[in-house]
Amino acid sequence: MIFNSIRWQVQIWHGLILVTVLLGFGFAAYHVAQDNQMRAVDQELSRQMMSLLRPGRGPEAGPPRDPERFGPMEFPERLRGLEERGDLPEFNRANGSYFVVWLQDGTVAAHSPFAPAGIPMPEFNWPAHPRHSSEGPAFGHGPPQGPTGPPGPPVARTRGGFREVAGAAPGGFGILVGCSLDSERAAVRRLAVWLATAGAAILVLGLAGGWWLATRAIQPIEAISQTAGKIAEGDLSQRIDVADTESELGRLAGVLNSTFARLDAAFARQAQFTSDASHELRTPVSVLLTQTQTALSRERPAAEYREALEACQRAAQRMRKLVESLLDLARLDGARCPLKQDTVDLAALAAECIEFVKPLAAPRAIRIVGELQPVTCPGDAERLAQVLTNLLTNAIQFNRNEGEIRVITARRDNAACVTVEDTGGGIPPEDLPHVFERFYRADKSRSGTGGNAGLGLAICKMVIEAHRGAIEASSQLNHGTTFTFRLPLH
Amino acid sequence: MRVLVVEDEPDLLASLLKVLREDGYAVDGAADGEEGLYKAESAEYDAIVLDIMLPRMDGWELLRRLRKTRKVPVLMLTARDAVRDRVRGLDTGADDYLVKPFDVSELLARVRALIRRSACQADSRLTIGDVVIDTASRIVRFEDAVVPLTAREYALVEYLALHRGQVVTRTALYEHLFDENDSTLSNLLDVHVSNVRKKLGHEFISTRRGHGYCVDPPA
Repeated sequence: MIFNSIRWQVQIWHGLILVTVLLGFGFAAYHVAQDNQMRAVDQELSRQMMSLLRPGRGPEAGPPRDPERFGPMEFPERLRGLEERGDLPEFNRANGSYFVVWLQDGTVAAHSPFAPAGIPMPEFNWPAHPRHSSEGPAFGHGPPQGPTGPPGPPVARTRGGFREVAGAAPGGFGILVGCSLDSERAAVRRLAVWLATAGAAILVLGLAGGWWLATRAIQPIEAISQTAGKIAEGDLSQRIDVADTESELGRLAGVLNSTFARLDAAFARQAQFTSDASHELRTPVSVLLTQTQTALSRERPAAEYREALEACQRAAQRMRKLVESLLDLARLDGARCPLKQDTVDLAALAAECIEFVKPLAAPRAIRIVGELQPVTCPGDAERLAQVLTNLLTNAIQFNRNEGEIRVITARRDNAACVTVEDTGGGIPPEDLPHVFERFYRADKSRSGTGGNAGLGLAICKMVIEAHRGAIEASSQLNHGTTFTFRLPLH
Repeated sequence: MRVLVVEDEPDLLASLLKVLREDGYAVDGAADGEEGLYKAESAEYDAIVLDIMLPRMDGWELLRRLRKTRKVPVLMLTARDAVRDRVRGLDTGADDYLVKPFDVSELLARVRALIRRSACQADSRLTIGDVVIDTASRIVRFEDAVVPLTAREYALVEYLALHRGQVVTRTALYEHLFDENDSTLSNLLDVHVSNVRKKLGHEFISTRRGHGYCVDPPA
């Protein structure tokens, strides 16, 4: 469970990396500090050794003498002299440095008062020519030095709790300077404790920061999943609250929000459509119910029954028309639009449709004028005829008596173009953008629409768009309305 | 009882007028909102059946304007049955609501109930002395025997009974008992009153000369 959580995975990796880095850094720092400390101790011991070999102090201190000038016995003697005069303060303290001088034969020639007992003699690299050698002061095993140069690097060793530096002087004696490492070891331990404490603190801080970062990064995902959950439960009005639109998750949330909005709109349209469809069915059903219930309530003369039946028939026709329109819409809505691909001559098709609707126009003395230039395009002749008939019946229905309808077919801008103009009352500008919506009627009542449910233009639009064409309406109040559709020629 | 029906679907309007007329109402019809408002304001109706989707002026607007001058009970007819619409209708001043499609019997019952309530009579049976009027079944009993009345006679009895104790003017009776198509011969009312008196006893309707008629006058 925990290992499936992204936050925990991030946190675990983050912790591992942090621990590795801290341990590596801690060990490196510890060793560097320890090395530096040893080097400092060694330097100090070397310096002290030098100061023994070059005693620039004391009353008889004249010009410094090279250690090679000391004979094997002379040097220890001198040290003892210095010691007695209290001239070697760093060697006269209980926890201070100490020195031991060996002769080449292994006997201890001299040592400081607090030197620990039983110090083994280090492996001195005795010079091949002790004293008066022309090679100069080969001190230790370093490269040969000039007669006045400093002694070569002495050999350092750690013995128990002591650090000792030893070297052989050309005078035939070996000297060792050492000190206790207690205070250094304590300092190193303090450093280790400090490093461990600081490391632990950084680890805790890092983990907390990592947790905060991971939480912050996860938060939008949680918000997205919560919103998506609510939407899955059916509340389509939910949207993800996007504060940061630039981050990756912000963009994702934006995409999801627009998807949700489209989904919501689609559902709302569907609900509206169903509600509108049932609304359209209610009135004819009311007619059927009241007519039949009234007719059946008592014995009536045949003429009254006939009247009732005629009213029922009209209601049923209206319902049939509505059902057919709904079926048309459902078919056109379907994924595969069952369009035939004939070669259609729109001029011939328009002429046919004009003939078909003329009986509707005649009683109101409406003239239909065709300006038909032959133009062919691929399409479904039956569906396109439906569009033309719909536009023509609308033009007749909303025309004034003795009005005119002009039908123009032409080829324009590489498209087949059909225009139906009427001389009716026009469509108010506020209604014009909605005329292709399902069930939309400029006049909210049913009168004057001859029982049309307001689906005709919606069907026209769907058919034309299924042909990859476009349909548009323009209107001038009290002058008339023009519907134009264009179809691609190929 | 006089009822106005405002409905734009001609077949529905025709059958509503017919069914109400056969139920003994004086009925007028209007096919659009403006005509409906004009008629509703120019005559005394006992109830109005009002469709919402109307050309020229919708039912909401008609009701809003009508309520400035008239308290007549209004039954809204609508094809939309969303709660929002019903609440809006009742808040605008409608007294009842009926969703299409409806049963004729329910429409008639609701119209009866509206008229009864607007006359402050909660019971559908009105008892005045020996006369019992059942407004639901439209039957009048006198001394426990059913009295056959014509539709117009029944309407006269019911109207006077619903306004018992009040003096009802002849003009008001003409307004409420005859629709716009009736020839309002001035003695037609006298004929009906006289017929009712023959059937329910002379004392049932008392005449206040110069004022009108009264049923069950206060002692």
